[in-house]
Amino acid sequence: MYRQKYIFLLPGLLVLIAVILFPLIFTIRVSFSSWDVYNPGLNDAGGAMYARMWEDARYWQALWRLSLLSVATVLIQYLLGFALALLVWRDIAARRFFRVLFLVPMMTTPVVMSVIWRTIFHESLGPLNPILEGLGIGAQPWLSHPGFAFVAVIIVEVWQWTPFMFLLLLAGLLSLPSEPFLAAKIDGAGPIRTFLSVTFPMMGAISVGAILIRAIEASKIMETVYVLTSGGPGTSTETVSYYIYIRGMRDFQIGYSAALSLTYLIIMAVALTLIAKALMRLMVRGAGA
Amino acid sequence: MVEIRLEQLAHAYRRGGAYALRPLDMTWRSGGTYALLGPSGCGKSTMLNIISGLIQPSEGRVLFDGRDVTALETGRRKIAQVFQVPVIYRSMTVGQNLGFPLVCQRLPAQTRRKRVEQIAERLGLGPMLHRPAHSLTADQKQLVSLGRGLVRDDVAAILLDEPLTVIDPQQKFDLRRILKEINAEFGVTMVLVTHDQTEAMTFAEEVVVMNMGEVVQSGSPRALFERPATRHVGSFIGAPAMNFLPADPMGPQVAVAGTGLAMPRPDATEGRFCLGFRPEHARLVREGATMSGIVTRIWFEGLDEILALDHPSGEVRLRAPAGIGLKPGDQAGFVLEDGALRLYRDDRLIA
Repeated sequence: MYRQKYIFLLPGLLVLIAVILFPLIFTIRVSFSSWDVYNPGLNDAGGAMYARMWEDARYWQALWRLSLLSVATVLIQYLLGFALALLVWRDIAARRFFRVLFLVPMMTTPVVMSVIWRTIFHESLGPLNPILEGLGIGAQPWLSHPGFAFVAVIIVEVWQWTPFMFLLLLAGLLSLPSEPFLAAKIDGAGPIRTFLSVTFPMMGAISVGAILIRAIEASKIMETVYVLTSGGPGTSTETVSYYIYIRGMRDFQIGYSAALSLTYLIIMAVALTLIAKALMRLMVRGAGA
Repeated sequence: MVEIRLEQLAHAYRRGGAYALRPLDMTWRSGGTYALLGPSGCGKSTMLNIISGLIQPSEGRVLFDGRDVTALETGRRKIAQVFQVPVIYRSMTVGQNLGFPLVCQRLPAQTRRKRVEQIAERLGLGPMLHRPAHSLTADQKQLVSLGRGLVRDDVAAILLDEPLTVIDPQQKFDLRRILKEINAEFGVTMVLVTHDQTEAMTFAEEVVVMNMGEVVQSGSPRALFERPATRHVGSFIGAPAMNFLPADPMGPQVAVAGTGLAMPRPDATEGRFCLGFRPEHARLVREGATMSGIVTRIWFEGLDEILALDHPSGEVRLRAPAGIGLKPGDQAGFVLEDGALRLYRDDRLIA
């Protein structure tokens, strides 16, 4: 009965196979070969690539660095975005103007903005260091010192993507019913207690959504690093996707980069699932009711 | 437990704009039950929100026991307000919800627990104290909202903003009973906003009928039923609505043409007259009818039937015992009980 239904499913199924399943399976196959610039082609290398990866400290460091970078940027984006959204949530003068203004960074092209930020951070030609000197803080080695370069990447990421958080959280705030706030007023709650007991709990679900979307994006941080520091100085700002890019596209070690990618995919899928579960438990009380 | 007095109270949402609430004076005695009744947008919720302090009135004063609270912030008025949508703090348990106003008052934990337990016991929420509040049913949530008001030992008044609208009929009945009991037990002033006349009439000692931002009539349910001050009140209260027929001065009387419905003529005869009577006050008769017409429709209403009669001067409805054996198309006549007829001039009661 209704055997025709498969015909209707077919287009979607084909797209799914072409876009997701085939590349995935192909990557799995490639990761068990030693395809590189000298021996292009699918041979059988067994688990050699995985063994090599296991010993590759640079890869694991990049993974660790990426985790740190993601957590730091998403957290800062969340706090800043929430604060900005709270600022323009209630009736304030020129509210519309501010709402648009806060969104501007998101509308720009990330790569272009990274180039501009690189100019800003430039230690002798950029405008930032003279300003810092003028303030008495002194010039900083923004892109040539490992710690500062890391901070620079965080700053650019936060600048670029806080508006996204802001947008989602503002939409969430605007969709909240007004009654609980009236009730809190009647019950005599002050602004801080109202935020902690009413606003924040009600924002739980949307917060988790916003954080997860950003976390998924942040786990792929690549262009900022590529343009701003090229992973340097040394490998101090290298993220996983950038390292895989170097191995695969620059060194042309297709087999090895496939193994790296696959491992990266699995680790990220597991990690993000766990994070999602933890966040749900932590922030969404009363979900599903 | 305060007497609420509204002095020359009025409100316009925009400065210089149209009144959402026209200037009014009103006194609600301590411990009384009052209902604000009117269609949507008549200003009843505005009035309630002014009393609770969620809205600052543009004119006039609000007095609690003679003390001016117009400028006092909401939290300090010691008011409980229950909204149409059950409001609970979703992240808290029932107990935490009930205790929230006390937390805001910074009372010690022990006092809080005692009060919360008392109130929960009274409202039948005792067994649910530790359950998450969002898992309750709608009527239980309304009880929690109510409880958050009652839990303060100094609660001044309970304002109910259409609290029964989203509740199932059976639970509605129970909730209304609980409200009445609470009123009797705590002696707390209660003001109910509603657009449901049955709810208003069964709940309150005094019903304030509002329309277009104005208090049209205020009085006991019986007074509103017997002597509606305007056509609007007559139509709004009672089911089916009061009958109104256009009337003209004829000799010493004002009468409806083609019927025996007549009232003594008043001194001044300018304006539009009409006569009104309740469907409940009419009695079907075979002979000697004051007015008769053709039956156009019959509704079933348990022990009663509602008949619609067509007459050249308009349609009237009557409440008659079931099983009188009339059907649409039949001729039927009725007489009115003594003193059941009311005379209106320009839609206002004059006799």
